[in-house]
Amino acid sequence: MRKSYVRNNIKLNEFDALTRITVEMSKYLYPYIREILKSKEDLEENSVIWNDFNKRFIELIKERFNVDSMRVKKLLNQSDNDKIIVKSLLTLSFCISNQGYQKLKNFLYDF
Amino acid sequence: MMQNKMSFNQSSVSLEIIGLPDYSNNESKDQISIISQWKLTIIDKPLIEGKVEHLGPIMNAFYTYSNLIIKNEIPLFESKLIDIKAENLYIHNIVLKSSKPNVKPLILKIGNSLLSDTINCFDQLNESQKVRLKETAAPNNIPKKLTFGLNKKVKFFNFFIPPFIAICSLILFSSSFIYFYNPIENIEKKELINPE
Repeated sequence: MRKSYVRNNIKLNEFDALTRITVEMSKYLYPYIREILKSKEDLEENSVIWNDFNKRFIELIKERFNVDSMRVKKLLNQSDNDKIIVKSLLTLSFCISNQGYQKLKNFLYDF
Repeated sequence: MMQNKMSFNQSSVSLEIIGLPDYSNNESKDQISIISQWKLTIIDKPLIEGKVEHLGPIMNAFYTYSNLIIKNEIPLFESKLIDIKAENLYIHNIVLKSSKPNVKPLILKIGNSLLSDTINCFDQLNESQKVRLKETAAPNNIPKKLTFGLNKKVKFFNFFIPPFIAICSLILFSSSFIYFYNPIENIEKKELINPE
């Protein structure tokens, strides 16, 4: 999915390290993650935070991912990507406890 | 006797555990092992409280439900005590059924933000050194055996699939040479070389 022609399999210790970094970042960013999730809950309210987040998300995808891939195209479609974004944010927000690393690892194995 | 109180807070949700230490187990004064009451406070929502025997099933319901959301399965949990159902991608309906007769069930609507706050409060309780839960908080995750099995499966495939594909492609590639080989022609050539 990434803009790269080199396909290297991730090593186990690299996977562990990335998972730990993600969990620590989620702990730190939990208030923001929560606000993004909350902004979409009330349909009557104008979800400015959600729209800003979605816009930035699409920008980053275009910048770093292979846009010709069908899976990436799905991520870019603003009406389709809601489910993917909500699930990703929820996964991160469920993993901010001390055992969040183990939890996130289990979620990832299950994907 | 004075009861101990422990609070676990996450943004708009607070979980309060009230109980006593188990002195027969040489526990310190501030420990809670015998839970007499618990209260789950969600801002702008009615208070949820109950006895220790209700805490385990409710935590289990929340954990199972949150796993179902992540695993792309139909997010629906039903039990004697609690039902949780997704209204849409962002809102979840919770029905808490009272164990007392003639008491109407309590219906709550919570969003994803409150759901994650609640899960995080339960996580804090599970990880707390001061509150000991008996057989309740079977946390959320898939059993380790299953994940191990999954790992082994992946390793097995990684090990056998590349050579298998290589052998198949070799067979396919070499079988194409059969079109260039004509045994009759070969015999004729030999006869030409050795006319005897």
